[in-house]
Amino acid sequence: MKIQNEQFGEINFEENSVIKFDEGLFGFEELKEFLLISEDEGLFLWLTSIDEPEIIFPIFSINVLQEKFESKESFEPFGIVKLDKEPENVTINLKAPVFINQVEKKGYQKLIDNESNVVDYPLFANK
Amino acid sequence: MLVLTRKENEKIRIGKDVVINIFSISENNIKIGIEAPRDVKIFREEIYQSIKEHAKQATVNRKKVLGTNYKALKLNKIIENAEK
Repeated sequence: MKIQNEQFGEINFEENSVIKFDEGLFGFEELKEFLLISEDEGLFLWLTSIDEPEIIFPIFSINVLQEKFESKESFEPFGIVKLDKEPENVTINLKAPVFINQVEKKGYQKLIDNESNVVDYPLFANK
Repeated sequence: MLVLTRKENEKIRIGKDVVINIFSISENNIKIGIEAPRDVKIFREEIYQSIKEHAKQATVNRKKVLGTNYKALKLNKIIENAEK
């Protein structure tokens, strides 16, 4: 199977590498199938919609930021990252993490409704 | 849009599975309880909009910064102030 987009060109993939989000993502509920693309030297993973291949969310493992971020067993928590040319404006969404099981190829997004988890947490430290 | 008037402790039913309880009303806010199946996602509207907007910008912005190397930057680790 293949899709094509500007960032990666033509992407060939096996059906069993598709990650299914039964409920989509908040604001993008109609998108249910994604590929998780990683790059050798990249800091981010790219959650790429199969239905709308130009929709790609950069995501970052929240476990790297916080050791014991709560998640269901075998699901890894990721945050959607809003990139910016200015590093201090790069933010990660910790209020609605995306949980992915890379073995079972399943994902879901969950709202964490408390004040300490914000939508626009700065990913990089000021110096 | 349907506009209804309700008093404290009255309810609104939406479809067969969702019930909104008006618990209490004060000058500046009302407290409501929502009974709904687990798969019905409930948000404060402004939070839903901010999550959606952040994701929208996430997919748009990445195109503008392709090739930017963030790897040398220091991550802003989450420090839990648990013991206080």
